[in-house]
Amino acid sequence: MSSPHLHFFQILIRNITNRPYRNIATILAFAIIAATLFSAQFMIGGAQQSLDAGISRMGADILVVPEEYSSAAQTVILMGEPTTFFFRDSGFEQISQIPGVAKASPQIYVATLSGQACCSAPVQIIAIDPLHDFTVSAWLKENPGVTLGKNNIIVGSQIFGDIGTDLLFYGHTFHIVGRLERTGMGIDCSVFTRIEDAYVMADESGVKAVQKLTIPKGMVSAVLVKVDPAASPFVVASEISRQIPGTKTMTPNGLLNAVSGQLGAITSLLYGSTLAVMVISIPLLGFISAMVAHERRREVAILRALGAKKTYVMWLMLAESLSIAIIGGLTGIGAATVILVGFQDFIAISLKIPFITPSLLTILVDGCSTLFLCIGIGGIASLYPAILIARSEPYETIRKGEL
Amino acid sequence: MIEIIGVTKSFSTTSSEVVAVNDVYLEVKPGEYILILGRSGSGKSTLLGMLSGLIRPTAGTIRMNGMDIGNLSDDKISELRAKEIGFVFQFSGLIPTITALENVLLPTLFCPDGPGSRSRAVELLKKVGLSERADAYPRTLSSGEMKRVAIARALINRPSLLIADEPTGDLDVDTEIEIMELFKDLNREGTTIIMVTHNPDLAPYASRTFGMDHGKLVKNPESFCSRTWRLEPSVHSDKGI
Repeated sequence: MSSPHLHFFQILIRNITNRPYRNIATILAFAIIAATLFSAQFMIGGAQQSLDAGISRMGADILVVPEEYSSAAQTVILMGEPTTFFFRDSGFEQISQIPGVAKASPQIYVATLSGQACCSAPVQIIAIDPLHDFTVSAWLKENPGVTLGKNNIIVGSQIFGDIGTDLLFYGHTFHIVGRLERTGMGIDCSVFTRIEDAYVMADESGVKAVQKLTIPKGMVSAVLVKVDPAASPFVVASEISRQIPGTKTMTPNGLLNAVSGQLGAITSLLYGSTLAVMVISIPLLGFISAMVAHERRREVAILRALGAKKTYVMWLMLAESLSIAIIGGLTGIGAATVILVGFQDFIAISLKIPFITPSLLTILVDGCSTLFLCIGIGGIASLYPAILIARSEPYETIRKGEL
Repeated sequence: MIEIIGVTKSFSTTSSEVVAVNDVYLEVKPGEYILILGRSGSGKSTLLGMLSGLIRPTAGTIRMNGMDIGNLSDDKISELRAKEIGFVFQFSGLIPTITALENVLLPTLFCPDGPGSRSRAVELLKKVGLSERADAYPRTLSSGEMKRVAIARALINRPSLLIADEPTGDLDVDTEIEIMELFKDLNREGTTIIMVTHNPDLAPYASRTFGMDHGKLVKNPESFCSRTWRLEPSVHSDKGI
């Protein structure tokens, strides 16, 4: 049953739907603004979330690596590009003694050979010391049914192979007992095992593998450090660097800065594009609004003659502009979300950044802020024409001609 | 009751001041049908604009049912227009994006507590002979049909006053007669009508006819009209200014 009266929104909807060409063009302009801005926020949010997840999984406040391999270590952590490097194990003992260090855990990084059964590309084996580890052990605590026993591995989310199946590295058979959650970082392409199994794998490789692996005894690749709650990670990191020459310390903030640097170019480009689109579109949308207002001045005059108040006319004009801005904004945000989620792996690989789809809350916050910007632009562009038209002399306008 | 007391409207131009309406007095009783004849630029539309509160007089007073509309705020005048005044323009003034029925319903937006309703809109379209075209958009209607929709729209809130500014200006003779007959019927039903036109042939429809010349309202329109008028006895007696 239809309403006995006509309503504001009926007029609003008809005015939008019955002027399709101009409104579609305006909606597209808003969609481009929204998609550009939302993409920038989405990618930064995705990288940030990936880093947070990855660093949280590592559980370390400081990562100590050989100075000459700091860049390689950063690539391992961020992107999972396999590499092998070592430094003297004595560093681990020294680090454990430094004031402020709560826990220290040595790790050995081994890049596997390409063409293995598990993967089409080499993966990173991270061998841990179960006695000191707090990376995998934290995960094991969350998954009480899983233990990392002899020849067992826990694989990152991107490693092929089901739990319960075997994988072959350097001719050594490992059994998958667990799979880590996706972080978007190098951990996703890594395989965790025990240091003693890594040594066995290296010993057997001369016979079983096409290439012999050497893991020198008394050497480790990295030491993960957890700092006392009362201590400053920055101070402890400085002390480690001072006491153990030839090492490089990395903190989550440092990694974040590194990623921000990598993201810098693309975010500058995206925000620059957004700014450029806004600089072009605000005057353009203002011009379109002014044109529309001029074109519709007789229609507005008729409304005034029929009893519409100035504020009603102004709200009608503003509501039309804001509705178009909202439709355009939602279209742009929706399209950008579909593309970014669908191609997130491609984007991460292309840009060499850690990336996972941001949480729903982050997406909602980014989407809302983008939408508010579109509404703001729509409001600014249409406010002045709306005020002008509401203030125009209606009777003279009516007399001047047909609608 | 409408009282126009010494109303003047002047517009300033860059070089001079133009007096569009000059010291006009008129009293219109409920149920009257007033016709104001005059050439283009004589000030008759400005007078209607002031009657409706869309134009503020430079001097003088306009009272509607005892209320000085010159002292009302813009919002109050808008409310008064929505409740008490129906408008018919020379051009139909229909909103192109909504249907005929929705155009008729349009004034109900500004007078939500008024008597206007969907059923009344349908009834009015039937009255003006357009019940079949209720869902048609203005672009598909003829000039006469658009004018009739505009008349139905003017009546939706049961206004006490119908203001018509050259309502038959762009119509053919047959449609003009149809519209004037419709106005006559409305007047018989009690609607007060004030209409301006440049066509002296329409004078017989009115209860009183005035002329407007250089902003002055004159009782004897023949004195300034060049055409030969076919003045027939009016529906009501001439009550004078």
